[in-house]
Amino acid sequence: MKTTWHADDALMARYVSGNAGSLDGASLEQHLTRCSDCRARIATHVDVEPLEMVWGRVREQVQAPAPSLVERLLIRVGVPAHDALLVAAAPSLRTSWLLGLAMTLGFVGLGAAYGGSRGLALFLLVAPLVPVAGVAFAYGPDVDPLYEVGVAVPYSTPRLLLLRTAAVLATSLPLVLVASLLVPGLSWTAVTWLLPALTFTAVMLAASTWTSPTVAALVLGIAWACSVGAAALDQNPYAVLAPFLLLVYAVLGVAAALVLRVRIRSLTPLGSLS
Amino acid sequence: MTTTTTVALTGITKRYRGTTALEAVDLSFKPGVTGLLGPNGAGKTTLLRIVATVLAPDSGSVRLLGRSPATPEALADVRRRLGYLPQEMGFPRGFTGFGFVDYMAVLKEWTARAPRHDEVRRVLDLVDLGDVSTKRVRALSGGQRRRVALAQAMLGDPDLMLLDEPTTGVDPEQRVSLRQVLSRAGEHSTVLLSTHQTEDVAALCDRVVVLDQGHVRFDGAVVDLVATAAGRVWLADAPDPGARASWRTGTGKHRNVGLAAPPGAEPTVPTLEDAYLLLLGDRALTTEAAA
Repeated sequence: MKTTWHADDALMARYVSGNAGSLDGASLEQHLTRCSDCRARIATHVDVEPLEMVWGRVREQVQAPAPSLVERLLIRVGVPAHDALLVAAAPSLRTSWLLGLAMTLGFVGLGAAYGGSRGLALFLLVAPLVPVAGVAFAYGPDVDPLYEVGVAVPYSTPRLLLLRTAAVLATSLPLVLVASLLVPGLSWTAVTWLLPALTFTAVMLAASTWTSPTVAALVLGIAWACSVGAAALDQNPYAVLAPFLLLVYAVLGVAAALVLRVRIRSLTPLGSLS
Repeated sequence: MTTTTTVALTGITKRYRGTTALEAVDLSFKPGVTGLLGPNGAGKTTLLRIVATVLAPDSGSVRLLGRSPATPEALADVRRRLGYLPQEMGFPRGFTGFGFVDYMAVLKEWTARAPRHDEVRRVLDLVDLGDVSTKRVRALSGGQRRRVALAQAMLGDPDLMLLDEPTTGVDPEQRVSLRQVLSRAGEHSTVLLSTHQTEDVAALCDRVVVLDQGHVRFDGAVVDLVATAAGRVWLADAPDPGARASWRTGTGKHRNVGLAAPPGAEPTVPTLEDAYLLLLGDRALTTEAAA
């Protein structure tokens, strides 16, 4: 049944301002559900600005994705929110990667605890390569599906690479350190793997100004595996951490850092793809 | 609308392991929508990548938006003003449509959250994806994913938009909608559109560049390219073995695109596709099949 009565402007104004009273207000609401003319007219009495603000907040809540665990941690330690968003998108900073890494290191740590010299060799093989693999899987054309489009943006590529490297080191090194607690006869030698780990990461970053990070990491991984394997065959896995070699790692690391400092701007050339 | 040259390419050559992608190409572009047509391997994607600053030419000079992107500062300045849609675009695992475009917006230096999110909503609405922006990108259809990728290229309403096959996998209704969006963008921006879809070029572009084996085979108005096929397209009861291309249409007549009229044929109005087929001959047909 089509209604013949319509609300007047005074009633509508009182309703919109919240002064219509419960009886008139309820009657008007009932009427509005049936009368499109009055719905159209009452819209002219409503201040749309607050409504748009509310709607904007609703959309923001619904659409904006919740920050990931790594993103929240980065923000908590002072990384700007927009940088944290970019850093946390790295494959090797996802929760699944970190969980997988924790499980792997758990097995490697147990191997070191109960596997004799072979288990120790396995630990020494894996420990320095964990941050290298993490950085290799944080940036570059082989692992980043957005690499090509990411080249054509103004955001500093070196900044992104260094931020992700720092985040990978901050997440992976503590996990390896915890695993190293399982190494029997814990002594300073059980944590000297930190030096080659940092050196290899610096070498890989320097090499990635010429080639992709994954290629650099693969070459480093093979070279390190050969070294640890040879030491394990001699029943002395710790030979790869001999004092003389630690000095070599330190010198190599400093050299790599200097090369990186000089060449890092080459990561944003005209045309990074080939 | 400004009519200054926004893209100037001079003597651009690019080779990949002995294969020539572009050979001494000279092209310049002004605001407006230009279609790049050509067979697979013609050099369209290479050209777009060079203009997008993701690929350096072996030789030749590039000037973009009035400056040479030779220094990191000039390069960053140019990149602030361009939007690029690559031919193939992967999406990081777990990203929603909104999250993905938001990520790209940060890379484009939209650091403040509120205006950035407003801009993300604006471009998602432009490509009609506002309603599904909370869905994971990998759960969207191919056409929707392509539109998400296109949305990021529109962030900040760039002066230079480089779009490599933007309508691939997009349904006809959405394709028309995207044409409207791109034609509006072309009123103030330089839009370069690489595509195999001649109907998109005919409907959208005021200029067309046909590339073939790294060379520019045609550069001019769409109507001028279509005009080259005038008097060379016929409808006949039978296919013409001598035609460049011949196929049976829905009316039962055979459309023959060739140099000479087959017996008993009636001339018909040519399309851009006819002109393209005539210009490139067998290589165009190979591409049509591949596309």
